Amino acid sequence: MFFKSLDLTTALRPLLLPDEILLFVQDAVGLYEGKYKIQNYQNGHAYLTSHRLCYVAAEDPRKYSVAIDLKEIDRVESQAGFLKSSPKLTIYPKPQKKKTDKSSSATASPAVAQQSVLQPTLSLSHIPQTNFQQNPLSPKPINATWICPICSFSNPVPSNFDPATANAATNLPPCLACGIKPPFTTVLKAAISAVASRESPLLSSVASPAIAQDTDQPNAKASLSRSGSRGTVPCPRCTFVNHPSLVECEICGAPLSAGSASANRVDSPAPLFEQSHIANTEVSESIKLSFRAGGDKTFHERLRGALVQRKWLLQNAPPVPSPSQGASSEGLPSPVASVEGTLSPAPRHSGVGIAGLERRGLEARKKNELVIGNAFEDLEALMASAKQIVALAETLARESGMTTNESSPETSAVLSESAAALGMVTTKDMLNSGSESLYLSELARDLAEYLTDDRKGILQREGGIMSLIDLWALFNRSRNGVELASPSDFQKAAELWEKLKLPVRLRRFKSGLLVVQRYDWNDEKTIEKIQAWMEELQRVPPDDPVPWDWSLFGRAVTAQEAAHRFKWSVGVAAEELEMAEDRGVLCREEGIEGLRFWRNYISSCGYGDLSRLAI
Amino acid sequence: MTTTPPFPFPPTYNFPPFFTPQPNTTTRHAQLEKWSSLIQSWCRHHRQYRLSLIDAVESPLFHNTALRKRLDLREARAVVDWMTKSEEEGGGGRRAEWIPDGPKTVAWIWWRRPEEWADVLVDWVEGTGQKGSVLTVYELIHGEGAMSQEFHGMDTDVMLRSLNVLVKRGRAQIFGGEGQEGVKFF
Repeated sequence: MFFKSLDLTTALRPLLLPDEILLFVQDAVGLYEGKYKIQNYQNGHAYLTSHRLCYVAAEDPRKYSVAIDLKEIDRVESQAGFLKSSPKLTIYPKPQKKKTDKSSSATASPAVAQQSVLQPTLSLSHIPQTNFQQNPLSPKPINATWICPICSFSNPVPSNFDPATANAATNLPPCLACGIKPPFTTVLKAAISAVASRESPLLSSVASPAIAQDTDQPNAKASLSRSGSRGTVPCPRCTFVNHPSLVECEICGAPLSAGSASANRVDSPAPLFEQSHIANTEVSESIKLSFRAGGDKTFHERLRGALVQRKWLLQNAPPVPSPSQGASSEGLPSPVASVEGTLSPAPRHSGVGIAGLERRGLEARKKNELVIGNAFEDLEALMASAKQIVALAETLARESGMTTNESSPETSAVLSESAAALGMVTTKDMLNSGSESLYLSELARDLAEYLTDDRKGILQREGGIMSLIDLWALFNRSRNGVELASPSDFQKAAELWEKLKLPVRLRRFKSGLLVVQRYDWNDEKTIEKIQAWMEELQRVPPDDPVPWDWSLFGRAVTAQEAAHRFKWSVGVAAEELEMAEDRGVLCREEGIEGLRFWRNYISSCGYGDLSRLAI
Repeated sequence: MTTTPPFPFPPTYNFPPFFTPQPNTTTRHAQLEKWSSLIQSWCRHHRQYRLSLIDAVESPLFHNTALRKRLDLREARAVVDWMTKSEEEGGGGRRAEWIPDGPKTVAWIWWRRPEEWADVLVDWVEGTGQKGSVLTVYELIHGEGAMSQEFHGMDTDVMLRSLNVLVKRGRAQIFGGEGQEGVKFF
């Protein structure tokens, strides 16, 4: 299994392959290789799709994002959170055919390690192998383990721990399972025994687990008395002098400052993996996802579902022959064209003429009934067949749009293209229902992608700028009435664009009108466009004779004309013209025709005519 | 006055937004300055010293018949108000002054301020060697000696104000009764 490099979209999300569906998103996820934290991959979003498991770091996402193909995953184990340790999912790769013996030892998991403690006889077969794998060239010295005196979990000795130079002041990482710092002696003994076992593997491998286990209890006691005098923590409330490994005061229960759980779970206790950039790195043992903000259960569930469904197998499958091909080739709008393709073809009676058409219609309706009926049987099934249902809803909408004669062809075009967009749209269901901020940020990314998608070109069509309300309407219509975004969520999501460094920006005009525009769009560009237009008006003679010197003044423009020319909406055009007026580029004329704008001849012409008037 | 040639309007006069008060302060300032200079030139052209806004709003000054645009009384008053203020107050350098009787409908338009007129008078007196001589105000305004001068046919009130400036400066002395004023230049 390899960490694969990952392409990101403009909204800094994984670029999905064709047919790939986003299943779940979780933020505040850290990545582990084996038992080691991977630097720079400790705070990011985990995206579960139907084909891949993607990790995108919150900081510098273009650099630190990797993906793992689901087809290479053998199994997934869930590990609940324990004291200070976050809940984790351990993902084991499928054994590679070429080196089966190696990978079997590589799957030495925490569970196996724990077993070896409980049953030392079993570990006999494991330890030599592990040591064999950890030859001196190996960059990962995971050969030594120490056993936590509190929870008896076997932890790796940190890679930078050198028994020769370490002393009691050396900073030791706490236990991976319970998060409590080990007594120095425990780690030291484990390290020494590991070194000894490397020198004489067969001899000491039998002894080392036993020694570690035997010395556990006395050591813990000894360290209690020893460290009590040195690294004690006085309680801030009752001043009782507590043992340093205690999180709460023994007497009054007040949280101790040293042990108080910090909100920043990035500083998780595990040692660091040595490489900081892991794209195209082989996963030797297993990887772990640490869910520091929860969401592990749903993630696990969805991941298991995706592993069972094996959507990636469909990628190369030939398309199912569609019985509706005849109907659609006749040019008739087939309401089931996209739905039937996924269903098994029914035995087809060759109908001729009107009777045939009617029968075909009947068949189509029956199939639709079946799809709808299946989908509504229970919610799980609805989610599974969501794509079919959406496609069905869409074709129905398109049909009704045809009959009711949609006013704007452009909006209906956008609507009809929206099926493609739906694959990527984040719904509340994909996220942990508890985390509102994640939903908002994902919605913001959705919106950014929706806006910058060149296939739809929504911003371009609107002249690079559109009002938030228009966008909201368009966006919700493209969702076909499923998982609509509420106006307040929508606005909050739009406000996040700047923070998430997405390529679109929300902007507030003086009047309070909120508009959406590309991040590189600014007033200067608008003014340039308006000025070019005004100069053009000075060159082109107006249609009707005008009482003023058009070559000098040009012509008046209204917001409607500007909207038409720049393909803005009228509200946006009015705001942009007023912005230009504020900048002194335009000036206004109020008359019975309404408000019109001119090139600002009043202040731009200088004093040429004044000096002439002074005689 | 009827024989004066038509007034050459500046190009801005035919610019439709010129007749709409501009909301942008910079543009508004430029607009007021242009109006001020237009009013001054207009009055100078027509040798007018006082401007009655009631009459003026119907005149070509404030009413562009070609564009069918006009400055209404309220706006015209705003322009003249601006002209009455000094530049320090953000106005037009006291180029106008409301004539105090009644509401703000008639104003002096100072296309030359009384101080400037006083300078013109002194220059003329010195230039023609009339220093120390005595002239009546009537002679100054309507006399043949000052026929070619700009102050020929000047409003008597403006002339008296200009002469008073000279008196304050100690360059002239006014004597005589109402309507019979004489002036001696030093």
